[in-house]
Amino acid sequence: MKRLMVLVTVMTVLAMGSWAWAADTIKIGVVGPRTGPAAATGKAFEEGIAIALDHLNAKGGVLGKQVEVVFEDTGGVPEKAASALEKLATRDKVPIVVGESHSSSALAEIEVANRYKIPLIICEAWHDDITKKNYKWVFRAGPVNSGVVDFYIAPFVKDNRFKKVAIVRENSDWGVGIAEKTETDLKNFGIPFITLKVERESKDFYTELTKIKGENPDIILAYIYGTGLHFFVAQAHEVGLSPKCLILDGAGPPSLWDTFWKNVGKAGELELFMSSMHEKVHLTPTSRKFWDDYKKKYGKDPTDYKTRSIYNVVLIAADAINRAKSTDNEPIVAALEKTNLEVTTGIVKFGLKQGTYEYHQWMPPMLVVQWQGQKQVVVYPKEAATGALKKVK
Amino acid sequence: MNEFLMYLTNGIVIGVINAISAIGVSLIVGIMRVVNFAHGELYIFAGYFSYHLSASLGVPPLLAMPLSIFFIFLIGIGMERTLIRPTYGDEMYSLIITFVLSIVLQNAALLIFGPYPNKPPNLVSGATNIFGLYHYGNQRLLSFFISIGILLFIFYLIKRTWFGKSIRAVSQDREMSSLVGVDHLRVNMLSFGLGAALAGAAGVIVAPIFPVTPTGSSAISLNAFVVVVLGGMGSLKGCVIGGLALGIIENLGAAYLSTMYRNIFGFVILILVLVFRPWGLFGQKAQ
Amino acid sequence: MGNKQQAGTAKKVGIPALFIILAILPPFFLSQYWLHVMIISLFYVMMASSWNLIAGFTGQVSFAHAAFSGIGAYASGMVAVNLGVPPWLGILIGTGVAALLGLGLGYLCIRMGGIYLSLTTLGFSEILRIIITNEDKWTRGTMGLQVPGFFSEYSKANYYYLFLVVTIFLLIVIYWIVHSEMGLTFRAVLNDELAASSSGINTIRVRILAFTISSAMAGLAGGLYGHYLMLITPDIPSLGQMFLVLAMAVIGGMGSFIGPIVGSFVLETLSEYIRIYGEYHVLLFGLVALAMARFAPEGLMGIVGKKWRKEWVH
Repeated sequence: MKRLMVLVTVMTVLAMGSWAWAADTIKIGVVGPRTGPAAATGKAFEEGIAIALDHLNAKGGVLGKQVEVVFEDTGGVPEKAASALEKLATRDKVPIVVGESHSSSALAEIEVANRYKIPLIICEAWHDDITKKNYKWVFRAGPVNSGVVDFYIAPFVKDNRFKKVAIVRENSDWGVGIAEKTETDLKNFGIPFITLKVERESKDFYTELTKIKGENPDIILAYIYGTGLHFFVAQAHEVGLSPKCLILDGAGPPSLWDTFWKNVGKAGELELFMSSMHEKVHLTPTSRKFWDDYKKKYGKDPTDYKTRSIYNVVLIAADAINRAKSTDNEPIVAALEKTNLEVTTGIVKFGLKQGTYEYHQWMPPMLVVQWQGQKQVVVYPKEAATGALKKVK
Repeated sequence: MNEFLMYLTNGIVIGVINAISAIGVSLIVGIMRVVNFAHGELYIFAGYFSYHLSASLGVPPLLAMPLSIFFIFLIGIGMERTLIRPTYGDEMYSLIITFVLSIVLQNAALLIFGPYPNKPPNLVSGATNIFGLYHYGNQRLLSFFISIGILLFIFYLIKRTWFGKSIRAVSQDREMSSLVGVDHLRVNMLSFGLGAALAGAAGVIVAPIFPVTPTGSSAISLNAFVVVVLGGMGSLKGCVIGGLALGIIENLGAAYLSTMYRNIFGFVILILVLVFRPWGLFGQKAQ
Repeated sequence: MGNKQQAGTAKKVGIPALFIILAILPPFFLSQYWLHVMIISLFYVMMASSWNLIAGFTGQVSFAHAAFSGIGAYASGMVAVNLGVPPWLGILIGTGVAALLGLGLGYLCIRMGGIYLSLTTLGFSEILRIIITNEDKWTRGTMGLQVPGFFSEYSKANYYYLFLVVTIFLLIVIYWIVHSEMGLTFRAVLNDELAASSSGINTIRVRILAFTISSAMAGLAGGLYGHYLMLITPDIPSLGQMFLVLAMAVIGGMGSFIGPIVGSFVLETLSEYIRIYGEYHVLLFGLVALAMARFAPEGLMGIVGKKWRKEWVH
């Protein structure tokens, strides 16, 4: 009995000890996958955050205080994502949260953000509904499925006169959403296509690839986010499908991860991917500064464009807190709605018209990039192209 | 027709890969009645060892493979001595211990090797055009033939050598075997090590085709359990037939029924077999 | 003699009563965040205690327990989303579905026992996972099913009391079963099957019953959990979740009534403290569970002291 009382007392004391103390720093919450199939995105986020913090704190921080980041792991699964946001809101009591790169996780997070009335800026989760739900607390400074397909993927397919398209999509909100949008656009353009579902964590794609081969497409739109894409690309080459049939990685980062060339070998040549970053394409002075800061800190060129996306949203969040002169939710949202800030990909202004996905949405320009001799060549859109699309006859 | 042959070929190749990935589980169940949940983790560790030895330390791949298998053999011996030995005779106890151990090793792998999938370098590259019908990856074909070689070696070891005879003696009757001078503790330790080494062998052979990830280990163990149950627990021949059957069923099922349900076929068969023929689809009732 | 018995009865009533009074207090002084931790702990108490009912008391290691909590959660969530059934009724439906499937699975695999039962339940759990992942039209697969909560106004305190009441109810049922004649049969099954069957106890029927009750409890716990998180994902019926439940029972002490309760609170609270080490908290969990299983198979309860345990557990 005594022991039991001791146990109860100890647990109570432990529980009380965790109460938040007064903060002399501004803490920004970050959510993203640090483990799971897209853990590399967490790594990219960490780098971008570090550079953004260096930049902000060198200028004297925010509201005269140094800026800190609390990065909660989502593992790329919605349940952990929701509880990560819940922790940031109730335990760390951060004034604002940024990040995320999985639509399914983001869709769970916006519900929690709405419940706790905490401002949330999504940077790399593309599903339309994230902003289409028109939550007051939710913003997105990054690509949205409809935008990516309407302005880039579908016109790219049409302008380059591809004759038949195979859409391969994973079982996730992003995969389902972007595949449906693509189907609609291709139907409008009158381009024939087939769609295949695949499991995100599949390893052996021979069956799917054999089926695709039977349909004889000349481009595959691969909506697979994670290392599954590497297996897909490598095996497409083995069964003799690529490079005659080109593959476009609709997400982008998997084609840029360190392990990409190790895992795909020669099969990576001529593969295409979406990106918002290229060595030679600098739309703003901030973009140049980011590139230089990154090189100074890490001794190499940045590769994953999500490093830059998180950098942007940390800057946007800091800017909003500065202008709101407060860490309260209402003033921050009001400030965010008036954002007019230069980041690496342009000048951010959030849409304010309710009823569509454009509410609280700002999308950076995107690029279609092709690997040519292990070098990145921008092949679309024309204005930004650094070379021509290569096809194999 | 070409497509059907392609599916069938892939089914057979994956089938042999299934068999090599499961034979270690089969061996340990047969001799010690221990279901080793940590099998998949040993496989994953071997894949990472092989990758780091060859890619990071510059050991030639052909040397890195047996070296990794040897490390896993030692780990297996260590596991047996510290954790498994006290559980003999208590199936539930060993099940709980190996299940917890599998989670420990899986998270240790995450800590040591990071979350990224990795693969040792391919021994061969490119693809072969088979009878002018379809292309098939060379590395897959090579792994297929190496696996067959290892399976043949195991059959030889168990059926023809002194070591194999002691193993069979212990698995049939522990007390009798001690009477005729077989040290069953030693045999248990060595056969657990052998079972672990086989997990390692599967890991190094298959990793160049399907890169290893820390979180991929439970799928490997589960697949191995399906194969072992299908073939009859502890039967090595059954393990090969079970592996082939599963490979072919999964590939044809994925091709003609549903790609998304590829993995369900094995588990449905697992339950049906356990309920109606617990001695295995191809085993004998007497066992 | 009589005095001793009276003292025993007083203890038997007094101590749980003291605990219940203590348990009412947390919402008055805990932060939102720690209330959340308490609620999750209560979920694990339900899970680990009901798993212990079969694993600890009848020696059948089932790997389908997390799966049954998933069944409860998804059944309740799907009728709520598709038919607008209120969660109160939904969790009862979920519990019923879990009980039925538990009865079916128990009927199929109890006879074989041992590793056969473990492998069958493992297969069942995987089949369920694959179906949930693929039937995304109904379950929304890995994207997660968003479901309504119990209360129109979101309040952690309300959820805490709801979980507390249900947990106490389940614990009373478990306590009653273990100490009833049926419970004696349970232990008879565990200790000596032959003796039990020869004494005319229908061991198979007792085990199937235990399996069904335990599955229903998991279903109830899962339903509550899903409507608390307002998000149901395949993580609920996953093997990872199964591991946590097993680890909590093993660390607390399998086959003891208090063990899983203590194990759940200790592990869940501990995991919040070691969360700063990120993913490695699972590794730490595992190492502790492994060391316990190997060197102290009776768990924390075994360590705390047999005398104290005997007084009011048995």
